[in-house]
Formats: sequence, C-alpha cells, structure tokens
Amino acid sequence: MTNSMIIAQKELLDLRRNNFLIAVLGFVLIAVVISVVVSATQFGVKLDAYNIYLQALKSSGNTTVPAAPQLYPLQLLRGSVEYLEILGALFAIVMGYGLIAKEKQRATIQLLYSRPIGRSALPAGKIIAIAVAWLVAVATIFLAVTLTVAIVGHASFTAIDYQRLGISAFITWLYLIMWSALALGLASWTTRLSTALIIALVLWLTVVLIIPQMGDTMDPDNQVPGGLFKSLGIAKPDELAVLAQFSGFDTARNGLEVSSITKHYERFTFAFLGIKDQFNQQPLGLAWAGVWNNALSVWFAVFGAIGFALLVTTRKKLLRRTQ
Amino acid sequence: MTSILAISKHELLSLRREKLPLVLLVVFVVMVSVSGLIGWLTNTTVSNVWNKSTQAGLTNASNPFENVSPLYYSRNTVIYLVLIGALMAIVLGVTSTMRDRKARTLDLVLSRPLSVVEYLLGKTIGVAIWLMAVLATVGCISWASVAIIIGKPLGVQDTTRLAGFYGIALVFLMAFVFLGMISGIYASRETTALLIPISVWSITAFVLPQIGTSANPVSLLNPVPSVAFPGGAFDALNTLFRPLSVTEQFKGASGWLLSNPEVTGYFIASISIVFIATALGLLTLLLTRRDRIRGALND
Repeated sequence: MTNSMIIAQKELLDLRRNNFLIAVLGFVLIAVVISVVVSATQFGVKLDAYNIYLQALKSSGNTTVPAAPQLYPLQLLRGSVEYLEILGALFAIVMGYGLIAKEKQRATIQLLYSRPIGRSALPAGKIIAIAVAWLVAVATIFLAVTLTVAIVGHASFTAIDYQRLGISAFITWLYLIMWSALALGLASWTTRLSTALIIALVLWLTVVLIIPQMGDTMDPDNQVPGGLFKSLGIAKPDELAVLAQFSGFDTARNGLEVSSITKHYERFTFAFLGIKDQFNQQPLGLAWAGVWNNALSVWFAVFGAIGFALLVTTRKKLLRRTQ
Repeated sequence: MTSILAISKHELLSLRREKLPLVLLVVFVVMVSVSGLIGWLTNTTVSNVWNKSTQAGLTNASNPFENVSPLYYSRNTVIYLVLIGALMAIVLGVTSTMRDRKARTLDLVLSRPLSVVEYLLGKTIGVAIWLMAVLATVGCISWASVAIIIGKPLGVQDTTRLAGFYGIALVFLMAFVFLGMISGIYASRETTALLIPISVWSITAFVLPQIGTSANPVSLLNPVPSVAFPGGAFDALNTLFRPLSVTEQFKGASGWLLSNPEVTGYFIASISIVFIATALGLLTLLLTRRDRIRGALND
C-alpha cells in the first residue's frame, strides 16, 4: 500500500470518529430532507386547491376542465441543491481546514514527516480521504432526498430520472471536493491557521452568498413581487424584445453571476434536474448542450483547487513555526 | 464600574488588533457602499424598461418605482446585515470569549476583585461600542450615497428613519454577538465555537422561514421577508416558526423603517422579537458560571 493510501485510510478513520463533523453532516442531511418535504407538501396543497376548484366547477355545471398542476419530482430538489451550495460549501471548508489544522495544533506533522514519505504523499492522501468522505456523504444525501421525494411526494422515477440524479450527485461531489481542497491548501499555505480560516470564510461569503445575491438583485424581473413583466402585463416574446435593448446591463449582470463558481454549479444542476423550465423533461443531450460550459468551469475549479492544495502542502510550509 | 470599563477598553484594543473581524468589517463596509449604487442602477434600469414598454404600447401600468422613498435605494443593506453583519457579529462574539481562554489569561483576570458578570458586561460593552462605531460609519456612507443619488440631502424624516434602522441593526447584531460569546465559552474547540453559531444562524435565516413559507434558501437572500404559502399546514407552521426567525423579523422591522412598500406586517411585533432575542442572549450570557468560563480548550 502506498503512503498516500495509508494517510487516506488514517484520515477516513479520523473523520469517522469525529462526532462533531458527523453531526454537521447530519444537519445538512436534515436541512435537505426538510426542504424536499416542504416542497412536496406545497405541491400537495396546490393539488388539493385544484381539486376543490374542479369540484366547484362541476357542481356549477361548468364542463371546462382547467389543466391540473403537474408534479415533476426532480423539481422538488431545488431547495436541497441550494442548501448543498450554501451549507455544503461551508462545511466542506471546515472539513478541509480541519485536516491540516489538527496536524499543526497537535504537532503530529513533525511525526508524520519523520517517516520517509514522498513530496505529494501527505496532500494526496488527505485529498483522497476528502473525496471518499464526500462520496459517502453525497451518496447518502441523494439517496435520502430520492427516498423522501418517492415517499412524501408520492412520485415514481423513470430510468432517465436516475441518470439526472446521478449526474447531479457527481457535480455536487466535485463542488464539495473543490471547497475542501481549497481550505486544505489555505491551511497549509498560511503561517497562521486563523488567517486560512479568515480567507476561506471571506471567499465563501463572497462567492456563495454575496455575488449570487448581487446578480439576483440586479435582475429587473426580480424587482417587483411576482415579476416585473407579469406586473406590467407584458407577454414573454415582448419581454425578450424589450430586454434585448438592455443587453449591456444584462451582460454585466450575467458576468457578475458567472464569476461565482456556485452559480455554475447551480445552473448545471438546475438544468439536469429540470428545475429550470427550459430544460424540464428535455433529453439529457439538450441539457448538456445548454450548460456544458458550466460543467467545464466546475471541472477547472476542482482541478485548480486540488492543484493548489498539492502545490502548497509541502514539508517546508507545514514544518514552519505555526503562530 | 472601573473594572467593567477596564475590560471594555481592553476588548476594544484587542478587537482593533484582530484580523478576522477587521476583514469582515472591510467586506461589510464595501458591500454597504456599493449597495446604494446597485439599488440606483437597478431602479434606473427598471424605469427605462418601463419607459420602453410604455412607448411601444406594451403596458398601461404605472412605473413600479414611481414615488418610492429615497431610502428604497438602501434596501439591500438589510440583506448585507443579515449575511455579513450577522457573521461578523458571531466572529466578534466568539473571538471575544475565546481569546482569554486560548491565552489562558482568564485565571489571572479573575484573580482580581472582579465578578463573572462584570467581566462579561465589560466585554459586551467593548463589542457594542465597536459595533456602534461601525454602524455609525456605515450609516453615514448610506446617507451620503442616497443624497448623491437623489441630488439633495435627505430630509429630517428619512434621516430619522435611517438612524432608526441602524439602531435596530445594532440590537439585531448584538443578538448574534451574544450567541457567539456563549459558543466561545461553552465550545471545547475554536472551530466548533465558530460552527455552532453559524449553524444556528443558517437555521434562523434559511430553515425556519422555509418551513412556514416554502421559500427556497436562495430566495430568502432578499431584503423583503418571505410570505406564508396559503393553505395546508403552512399557515399554522408559519405562525409557529416565524417568531423564531430573528432574521425575518429584522427584515420586517427594517422594511418598515426604510419605507419599503413591499414589506407588510406588524412592525411592533417584529421589533419586539428582535429585542427579546437580544435580551435572552444577554441573560443567558450573564448566567454563565465561573468554572464554565475558565474551561480549557481541547485544541
């Protein structure tokens, strides 16, 4: 067994024994399940209201049957994906930071480097452990939300739905590895552990919360409850024609949004789960054609973060006197 | 009284030297400064969209931003207080109580004729003064930004409303300072001390409002409080959980103070809940036992 695998095995054992981290992941799991339950209940309420309305129409002798609300089970996962992009990223930072912080705080890093281990054995082992830990966590989360949609939402899944869930779980796994690898790299890179935590938290705040919020705020349609164009009574084709005259503003707004990796993750997942109406019930190829650039961005970000962690997690940096 | 002031002074000095609160402060001040610009840019775009639509004969509706208060330009500050401000307050609280535990100076401090209540009150006053200075600066920036956008100084009524908004913001942030301080006292590790209040914040800001209103987490990053989904158990759940979400109550109180026409509800109830949350936080903090505050860290 290589040194990296030995380190990875030891890290996984540590993570399994870390009750606090398990509690934190349990919290994310509860939040995503609650979100699905709330969305499924909301759909149930809409359906009940529709049935009551239909009964009233029938009893008044009206033969017109309005369209019933349609349940698209994967759309119930919107809130869950949003929790993963916000809270998942935060807890991924804590996990990545913790893997280096504990070695520095307990001074076990000196012991580790007293053994004949290669340059990349330590960071590679820790990143493998992160990848395995997130694989288990993401698989558990997606299994739990799928079961919740099936039980609470009374939904049935087709083969393509499972493919959509699998692809979304995979990109979620990459997204979370990225945040953990970044935090791991920062904890190795900085002399003071608190500085690493500061940088990671500020990055999380800016990339996950502030930039998407600013982009959302700048969307003219979000300025009026229910949507600007709906409130003005403007149809979709006319809306697009009007907005075409503000392409500069929209390009700036979109540019701001795409500077956040969280937005890339969100756009990709929303397309594959059919949460974005444009891709709902469409073939996977069409979703891929629409959001392949977002997948590429997440892919680059995860490799960038892993590369950064591998580059900066060196014997020289880790054995510096920690303040 | 002298000892409380000495602790407060020391707290202020330490806060000036801490990096994390300072970095968060810079992010906060920058965001509040640009929020006015974003508000103006967006309002101008919406008005231009309305103009084009009217000229093309697509709508007869009135401009949605006609006759809105100048304070409407500051509405996004509310969300930055809920996001950055609350996190900054948590970090301030945690570092405030963790600092002495980490440095193991508490035994020495408490060997002086000083009660735990005096010690914690001193720290609270120090942090409150720091936050007051921050909010006063941010308030002046907001006032100046709006004055530049509208091309004239804000009137007495709007200035009073803006001051009231930053006043309630101080009370709101102190609730998170107390949460952070309590966590800093009880947690055995620094990371845990930070994560527990951040988890409580995420429950307050996202989970509780979602249960009652069915609003998704990202849509809750909005200065307007979410509205209950009509029907089913949502009304009852909203009645039950809404008062527990201090962040939504703060949005309600702020919306009223900033004359946001989209915000409806009971301002008195919202403001009372923010005050009650802060008072409960202070009470819990002051009830801390002497042996607890001296607990060693596992880091």
